[in-house]
Amino acid sequence: MPDGPAPVLQPVLDVRGLKTVFKTRSGEVHAVNDVSFDVRPGELLGVVGESGSGKSVTMMSLIGLLPSPPADIRGGEVLFEGNDLLTTDAETLRKVRGGRIGFIFQDPMTSLNPVFNVGFQIMEPLRRHMGLSKADARIRAAELLELVGIPDAQRRLKDYPHQFSGGMRQRVMIAIALACDPKVLIADEPTTALDVTIQAQILELVKDLREKLGMAIIWITHDLGVIAGIADRVMVMYGGQVVEQAPTRELFGNPQHPYTRALLETIPTVRGARPDKLNVIDGQPPILGAAPTACPFRDRCQYRFARCDAENPSRTPAGPGHDAACFYDFTAGGPRVA
Amino acid sequence: MLDTPKEPLVRVSNLKMHFPIYGGLLRRRTGEVKAVDGISFDIFEGETLGLVGESGCGKSTVGRSVLRLYEVTGGSVTIDGRDIAHAAPEELRKMRTQMQMIFQDPQASLNPRMKVSEIIGEPLREHHAGSAAERRERVLELMDQVGLNRDFANRYPHEFSGGQRQRIGIARALALNPKFIVCDEPIAALDVSIQAQVVNLLEELQERLGLTYLFISHDLSMVRHIADRVAVMYLGRIAELAPRDDIYAEPLHPYTKALLSAVPEPDPSVEEKVERIILAGDVPSPSNPPKGCNFCTRCPSVMDICKRDEPEFREVQPGRFVACHLFNQTT
Repeated sequence: MPDGPAPVLQPVLDVRGLKTVFKTRSGEVHAVNDVSFDVRPGELLGVVGESGSGKSVTMMSLIGLLPSPPADIRGGEVLFEGNDLLTTDAETLRKVRGGRIGFIFQDPMTSLNPVFNVGFQIMEPLRRHMGLSKADARIRAAELLELVGIPDAQRRLKDYPHQFSGGMRQRVMIAIALACDPKVLIADEPTTALDVTIQAQILELVKDLREKLGMAIIWITHDLGVIAGIADRVMVMYGGQVVEQAPTRELFGNPQHPYTRALLETIPTVRGARPDKLNVIDGQPPILGAAPTACPFRDRCQYRFARCDAENPSRTPAGPGHDAACFYDFTAGGPRVA
Repeated sequence: MLDTPKEPLVRVSNLKMHFPIYGGLLRRRTGEVKAVDGISFDIFEGETLGLVGESGCGKSTVGRSVLRLYEVTGGSVTIDGRDIAHAAPEELRKMRTQMQMIFQDPQASLNPRMKVSEIIGEPLREHHAGSAAERRERVLELMDQVGLNRDFANRYPHEFSGGQRQRIGIARALALNPKFIVCDEPIAALDVSIQAQVVNLLEELQERLGLTYLFISHDLSMVRHIADRVAVMYLGRIAELAPRDDIYAEPLHPYTKALLSAVPEPDPSVEEKVERIILAGDVPSPSNPPKGCNFCTRCPSVMDICKRDEPEFREVQPGRFVACHLFNQTT
C-alpha cells in the first residue's frame, strides 16, 4: 500500500525535461513543457490532471506514439534500459513499445481490434516480441487471461471483443499489456469508462498483479479517489507542466501547490462530513499556446502576486520526495524568498 | 427541504418502458429490452431527487419517459396534477413549458449553427412567448442568471468551453420558467474543477426559482451533495429509495451497500479503512433479466427465495423504501 518501496532502487524509467509541441494552423501549441519524472521498479506512480493538462501527451511522447507532424518533440531525455528512447533507432523503439513497456488505454472497445479474436490479439505481441511459436503463444495467452481473472480462459481465446463486457474487455487489454512481461506498464485512464463496481474489480486486480509481477506502473487518471487507493507517489499536472509531486500520503495530507489544494477541497465524497456548499475553483483551465512565461494557474489562483505574472515557477523542494512549482510558501505563509 | 414535505409535484407510478428488439430475416419482433420495468416514486416540490445507478440500469430512460420523450409502455406520470403519460398532443404541448431537460453532453445538445441567443431564445419562439424585443431582453436576463457574459450572445457554441456550454443548456431549460427540470448527467462530461461550478449554479437557481429537480447521475459523491432524497436503480428497477443522509450513512439494500463501498475515497487514510464489497460478474442483460430478484446473480446475501420471487418495493422505515427479501422477513 502507499508506503513506497525502498528509495535505494534506481529508476527504471527516467524522463528529463520533456517538451512536446504541436504545430497547428493557428500557431504552436506547447502541450508538454519541461516535464521530468521517474519511476522505480515495483512503484506505482499516479499522474493526475484535467483534460488538456498534458498527461496523455507526455506518455505518448515518451514512447514515440505521436505522429510527427504535427507533434514535435523539442527536447528532453527518456532513459530506459540504457537507451534514450527519444534518440534511439526505430527498431529498438519498436521492441520497447508493447514489449518492455506495456500500455493500457482508456476505452477497451476502441483499442481492441473488432475483427480478430482476443486470442490472436494476445498472441501477437508474444510472437512478435518474444519469438514464441504459435502453440507456445497460445498456451501463454491462456495463462494470461487466467491471470487477469477471466474464467474459462482456454475457450474464451476464440471470442471476439464484442462478446466481452466492458470490464472483461479491460481485463483483456491488461492481459495484452502484460504479455511480454513489461518492466513498466503505462495505464491511461484505464477505469474511466467503467462503472464503479467494475472499477473496484479492476483496481483489486491491479493491486494483486503488481505484487505478483513487481513491475513499475504509471497510472494516469483525473480521479483523485482512485489515486489515493493505489499510488505510492503522485504527480499533479496542470497546463502541460508538473505542478506538484509527492508521496501519496504527503500529497493528500500536506499539498503545497494552490491547484492541488483547491482540487482536494473541490471534490465531494460519499463518506465523512458533507459540506453545505462545494468549494469552487473559479475560471477555466488555460488554453495552451506559446511556451508559458508565467505561472499557468495564476488566473485561478487566490495566492497570486506580481512574480506569478512575470515568471513561470520551477519545481522547488517542499519536503522529502516532495516538490511544487509555486512561488508561494505555504509553510511560511507568504511569497517564497529567492 | 426534507423536514417540510409538501405535495408531490411529480408522481410516477408503476412506470414501464420496454423497447422492442427486431430480428430474423423479416425483422419480426423477437423480444424486448425492459429498460424500465415498473418503478414508482414521488418528487416533492422544491426538492432534488437523485437517481443513481450504473450504465444500462435505465436511469436515463426514466428521465426521458417522465418528460414523455418516449411513449411509455405502461404506468402513469403525473406532473403538477396532470397526467403526462396519456395527455393528448395539444394538451401535452401546453404542459411542456412546465418541464424541461438538461442534457449530458453540451456539445451534442446545442446546435452548432445557431448563435447562443437563438439557442436560448428557441423555446420562447416555439411557445410564442412575448414580442421579439421582449424575447431578446429575456435571453439576456437568462444569460445573467446562469453567469454568461451578455456580450457573448452572438457567439456560436464552439466558442465556449464545456462548462460554459452547459450553462447555455441550463439557460435554455430555464427560458419558459419551468417548475420541474430533469438533469441527465449534467456534469459527467466536465472536468472536476468545473463540475463544482455547475452544481453550485444548479443549487443557486433552485433556491432562487423554487425549481424541482430529478438529478440523474452515476457520480455518487456529487449526488450526495445535491440531492435531498436518492433512488438507486439496478436493471430497470429501483432497489432502494431513501433520504440522502440515511442512505449514505446506512444503506439497506445489498446493491446500495456494494455500490457505495466501491466508490474510491480521495483521502489515503480513509481509503485504507474502507471495507470494499467487490461484486462478482457483470450486470445481466435487460432483455433477459434473471428470474426473481434482478440482483440475485451478484448478491452477496442471496437466498433461495430471491431466485424465485420478485421482492416487493416497500417502505421498511418511515421514508425508506427497499426492494429486498432480507427486509420482508424481519418485519
